Amino acid sequence: MSEAAWPIVSGAKPQLGHYEEFNAHPAKFMLRAWRECGEIAEFSLGEVRNVLLSSPSAYEAVFRALDDQLSPSEPYRFMVPVFGEGIQFGAPLEIERQQVKMQSNALRVDRMKSYAQVIAREVEDWVAGWDDAGEQDFYDEFKELVLRSSTHCLMGSEFRAKLTGEFGALYQDLEHAVSAASIVDPYGQQDAFAKRDRARARLVELISAVIQERRRSGAQSPDMLQSFMEAAYLDGRRLTDDEIVGMVIWIMFAGFHTSSNTATWTIVELARHSEHAARVVREVDSVYEPGGELAHTALRELPALERFVFEVLRLHPPLVTLMRLVKRDFAFKGVVIPAGLNIVVSPYVAHRLPESFPDAERFDPERAFPENVFAYIPFGGGRRKCVGNAFALLQVKAIFAALLARYEFSLVDAPETYRDDMPSLILRTSEPCRLRYRRRRKQPGASA
Amino acid sequence: MTLRIAIDRELCQGHGVCMDEAPDVVLVIERAGDYGQTSLLTETPPEEMRARVEAAVRHCPNRALRIIETP
Repeated sequence: MSEAAWPIVSGAKPQLGHYEEFNAHPAKFMLRAWRECGEIAEFSLGEVRNVLLSSPSAYEAVFRALDDQLSPSEPYRFMVPVFGEGIQFGAPLEIERQQVKMQSNALRVDRMKSYAQVIAREVEDWVAGWDDAGEQDFYDEFKELVLRSSTHCLMGSEFRAKLTGEFGALYQDLEHAVSAASIVDPYGQQDAFAKRDRARARLVELISAVIQERRRSGAQSPDMLQSFMEAAYLDGRRLTDDEIVGMVIWIMFAGFHTSSNTATWTIVELARHSEHAARVVREVDSVYEPGGELAHTALRELPALERFVFEVLRLHPPLVTLMRLVKRDFAFKGVVIPAGLNIVVSPYVAHRLPESFPDAERFDPERAFPENVFAYIPFGGGRRKCVGNAFALLQVKAIFAALLARYEFSLVDAPETYRDDMPSLILRTSEPCRLRYRRRRKQPGASA
Repeated sequence: MTLRIAIDRELCQGHGVCMDEAPDVVLVIERAGDYGQTSLLTETPPEEMRARVEAAVRHCPNRALRIIETP
């Protein structure tokens, strides 16, 4: 393997390759790999050979490639025991494509228009238990809020009413099993995998009960659960109850820790950068006041908040490891990456390339973003881009519109102690993630 | 300057935001089992539609549309 036409990242160990360093912090490892090797860098996880590509033109080539050349099914097989057999990459690609289409139906523009107000109400209920001032761990808080608001938007009020703390804990068990170890062998002997399997089994029980009750009552709701119950594949076959449960676990998982971790980093960066935060708060005050209606159209016209969240997603993209298996030799800039290797693209690295983002480590929501669509990839790109990207952005913006209209926030600990941490493959803030909140004084027009 | 609009179909997932903004300019054709596909009803919308075309471009979640000004 030393004859490769590209450099291999230093520090590989026998049998393990770069597994230990990758496992400790995938984002930091890949950043080091790019710094040391440049645009093409090979590393291995156990026996799996991976080629990390790092440039906007490489991202474009990867995201425009077809599935039969660069396939996501094999590298993401670790999601099969999370979502279930027959779901996503546990099904043939032509079935997976139809399932993604079913999910995208719930995220269409006509559905999205009602979501902003639903999320604002969830924030109201959530802060109803707060005092005038206090201290919270916002990693935990945002998990709860995102779970409640996503469930309410996508699964309907009946499902939302049944949502208990147990769901969040079960999803946390699923998330912990999405790790470097699961890339190597998702079915190995690991406590985290045993917990994952128990959590999924319990989620099947809970979600099946909701489906069966809805079938019994014959209730019709314009939500995603209903659309899954009515959906059919191209050959006319309806989804089984087990498939519906898998679809629910999938879409809720896809938008859970990713969005809550983004919200957590957003509140930390707001507290770190008071001058930018003041601009965002003034903008929010111009379109929303507590208890009022939060219109979808108003939410779209919040450029300062939007730029702020984009900058958060630039420096702290929740997913840092996007993978494809090369099925047919992949040529890029004069080298050929042969079938059998994995290609890895890292948004964490992409967002730190100096040609795309000068002075990249500096948090600056006013910075100019590159014209190139493939330079900024927090949601991936091309036909496999996250279909929930608009929903995620709407959710985070709605949360902060409703929250910043009521409270102001400050860090409890020293600013530099809030760091990117990766106990799973999903990037998050380090623990603890404590902030103080204080109710804003009612002074229309004045910013906090 | 003529207003000209172009679409990159490899980026489009048929979310329908553009059609909501500018129904005279873009049409999302639903397809069973796959993302809807966006078609341009005109590549050169009249100047009075500029604001709506710009909104369609700005709010596309996948940045699949762009405006090209031609002299």
